[in-house]
Amino acid sequence: MREKALLVLLLLTGAPARAQQIEVVSPQSDSVSVTIYRDLFALVTETRTVDLPEGPVTVSFEGVVETLLPASAVVADVGRPLAERNFDYDALTPNNLLARSIGKSVTITRTLPGSGKVVQTRATVVAANDAGITLHTDLGNETLHCSGLPEHLTFDAIPGDLHAKPKLSIQLAAGQPGKRTIRLSYLARGFAWKAAYVARLNSAGNRMDLSAWITLQNLTQASFRGAQVQVVAGKLHLLAEEDRGTSLTGDTDNFYDEQAMDEARENARQRLQNELEPKDPTLQLFGGCYALPVPPERADRHFEEMQSLIVTGMRRSLMESMDVKRSAMGVVEAVREELGDYQLYRLPLPTDLNARQTKQAMFLVKPRVKVERFYRFEYSLGHVGGPESPPESVIAFKNRKASGLGEPLPAGLVRVFDVDGESEIFLGEASMTDKPVNLPVELGVSKAMDLGLEIDTTYTGREELREQNLRERVDAEVRAFNAKTIPVVLELRQYIDGDSVLASSTDLFRQKDGNFVWRLRVPANGTRVLGYRIEWPELPAESSN
Amino acid sequence: MDNRWHVFISSGLVLVAASALAADGSPDRELSLTIYNKNIALIEHVRPISAPSGRQRIEFAGVSAQIVPETVSFVAPNVQLIEQNFDYDLLTPAKLMEKAVGSQVRLVRVNPATGAETQETAEVLSTVGGVVLRIGNRIEVLREDNLPTRVIFDKVPENLRARPTLSVLVNAAKPVNEVARLTYLSRGMDWAADYVAVFDEAKSTSSFQGWITLKNTSGTSFANARTQLVAGDVNLAESEQQWWNYFHQRRNSNQRSMGTESSGRQQLGDYYVYPIKQLTTIANNQTKQVSFLDVDAVKASKGYEISFYGFQSNSDPQSAEVRMRFSNSKAGGMGEQLPSGVVRIYMRDARGQPQFVGEDHIGHTSAGSELALKIGDAFDVTVQPTLAATRMITRRKTEYDMIYRVRSARSSASVVTLRQYGLWRENSVIKESIAGRRVDSSSFAWDVPVPANGEASLSFTISNGW
Repeated sequence: MREKALLVLLLLTGAPARAQQIEVVSPQSDSVSVTIYRDLFALVTETRTVDLPEGPVTVSFEGVVETLLPASAVVADVGRPLAERNFDYDALTPNNLLARSIGKSVTITRTLPGSGKVVQTRATVVAANDAGITLHTDLGNETLHCSGLPEHLTFDAIPGDLHAKPKLSIQLAAGQPGKRTIRLSYLARGFAWKAAYVARLNSAGNRMDLSAWITLQNLTQASFRGAQVQVVAGKLHLLAEEDRGTSLTGDTDNFYDEQAMDEARENARQRLQNELEPKDPTLQLFGGCYALPVPPERADRHFEEMQSLIVTGMRRSLMESMDVKRSAMGVVEAVREELGDYQLYRLPLPTDLNARQTKQAMFLVKPRVKVERFYRFEYSLGHVGGPESPPESVIAFKNRKASGLGEPLPAGLVRVFDVDGESEIFLGEASMTDKPVNLPVELGVSKAMDLGLEIDTTYTGREELREQNLRERVDAEVRAFNAKTIPVVLELRQYIDGDSVLASSTDLFRQKDGNFVWRLRVPANGTRVLGYRIEWPELPAESSN
Repeated sequence: MDNRWHVFISSGLVLVAASALAADGSPDRELSLTIYNKNIALIEHVRPISAPSGRQRIEFAGVSAQIVPETVSFVAPNVQLIEQNFDYDLLTPAKLMEKAVGSQVRLVRVNPATGAETQETAEVLSTVGGVVLRIGNRIEVLREDNLPTRVIFDKVPENLRARPTLSVLVNAAKPVNEVARLTYLSRGMDWAADYVAVFDEAKSTSSFQGWITLKNTSGTSFANARTQLVAGDVNLAESEQQWWNYFHQRRNSNQRSMGTESSGRQQLGDYYVYPIKQLTTIANNQTKQVSFLDVDAVKASKGYEISFYGFQSNSDPQSAEVRMRFSNSKAGGMGEQLPSGVVRIYMRDARGQPQFVGEDHIGHTSAGSELALKIGDAFDVTVQPTLAATRMITRRKTEYDMIYRVRSARSSASVVTLRQYGLWRENSVIKESIAGRRVDSSSFAWDVPVPANGEASLSFTISNGW
């Protein structure tokens, strides 16, 4: 009885504070735009029409994406001073509901075995925490879910500050009454996109048809109807989550290279996908009991439920992505524009971006791009001797109009196919970094077959070179063996070590990107030999300082 | 909702102050919060208390669940404080059973065939690895038979709490009807500044909105609180924390010069104070944002920068950094000091819609400072280094011929500021294709103009020795 009186009192005292603030609820957006970045988040921009009264008002936006970063929210076009902004996410979960019910009355419903009789008892929640629930009934104190009886709790009411969905609200001062269209934008986690390329070589191996796809993914449980969707190709500077930033993979300045960043992103994406997997709410209930043998059937049931949940989740997303692939084959190209120093690709028509969906769109089709195929071998003198690992097969092209391309190419995997009569052969794949227009592109697609290399080196030290005024000399002989029925081009790149100079060479060479470079034509079923000499000059005598 | 004080007499759960509560309505006459941006807050409750005379325990409901108990101060006229307690031994089913060892519980069993209930009294002997009971003269393990068995405990041990509870033991000579003041430090309250900058490159301006973002994870909701936020580095005696602060300060290289202007902000010692105008309610797990800065057109410009830390060739061109440069001076259009926080930068797309382009952290920045926030890497502006030649002049001195190839696929001309590090004690530029400048003892800088859709190159020879 006493608890009941207290409860009434609480409601009464809570009431006046609420009543003075008028709340206008905006249940959904009029239109929405989703801009997806490579770093596992998106910028969601919504327009919402609300009817504002003249006095101060709280406007609540329902249906925002659950993963939103509250600090990133921007509310524009409000037309009156904004006093404060709140993001409430004390979620209405069984655990929170119980924690808020401490000291309050609940009903326990038990089903007795045998007779199947249902018994209801009133109880007061004495304690509820991660380790379990303690109740006070008219028999005394007891704990929930420890007796082995089927039992559950029923609550009289839901506390006002628990929300089924996260809620963003703003408090506005008094102003002009009437309808207004407000723009709301925020960053939300759980989105990703990648570019992927397909290159089809012609039979001569000097042209390729290049097509490029955007694959975007919505990992969240939010669906967007008729959304304007775009993706941004750019390396944004982002701060780590622990520094209140947006990046799930730490500060973007901390990565050694793009490969490391890609790996970190992929790991974070998988973690996020698991986190955002829909959960069975019954699994979240407080489980703790005193040390007792847990009835086995209960544990088993939970395990089965979890398994079936994951499997259906996977199946669904898989099916969706396949459907999209099928329907997307005749799709129009995404349109590119510059956004600051990045590239932005806009899907040409509004589209439905559903929860846990993968979508694909084509953004580039370039037929007959000029390419060059050759083999490359990169080495440093100190690390060779005898038979070497096979050279790499390379597809190279210049990203310019004259070659039939000249478009910004966002980083992505390039899959290369060769045409062999009627059928296609998958040659291999290479990851490409962002390539602006005018930059050369070189993709190492596979290791060479039937192309072997041997490098022999002879060192001469300072003692024998005193007269020539040298401190070191290396004579190198490179032998390339081609077991193919066609001649091939082999490019050798030897790293230039310090102040070394190329003293002589049997073949033409050039110096490029810190390497001595030779281009050799290796005849069909033949051998090609290159000889050269590298020298290090003797150091001048120590000067007076 | 829970801001209510229950005054209990220590012997049992008898509510003596219920009538006083009902008359008063609000538990706190005043509640004030001073929140520091180090996950710590100073909380002061001013509350009426009513209690009979004599020695008694007063429990405080509605105080922060993350209270730092040793910082509690309780002051009430005519009340003598004997001791302060902070009990955080939580009541759980397992602890309830543990504490029942050696005492009697009641077992309610249900016959699985008939559903008939029977009651027995049992003594708890042990709870290690299972509950061992003595029923009459039999010894049993609880629910070994998997049959439903309810255990009824007559009382809950007094020191097991539903939630952490602060209480004081006091002595009053006569019945008390006073106003008490309770202050303490609490964890779980934090704030930081968040900025939104919409950068208009064409107009060379940026708007700035500053928000104070307050997060309450203390486990408690605070109603109608007078709130102020303090910006500054409060020293907390945690070596690791200090190390981090130091690290962050050093890392924060986007401040290019320190300002010397003052703004009209309220100051408190070395700290700036941002009061929230009206009384505010901060719910548990709520993120609240209050505006403190809204400027429309601050002068801002974009710049490309790139740094090299040695003399090497690279076959992969590197992207130049994109930075937004601005000053928070009066002349620049702002004239406000900026508390430490994250600046999120937006630019408008072709349709005029702001799109997010990057973020950077700023430290506490006094007004009049020059800042260059990093937005990201340029897609279309790259620099490729080539070490053309190395000459060893002496054993301690080497000359490096560097060529930097700067390419741009942008539709307008740009300037890239290139900085060369990797210098030893004795260094000089012998030859350069563009006049550069010495920035400090360990770096030189060049501004390289690059035409639209074109390329430029910078070459220089540096003598480097020790």
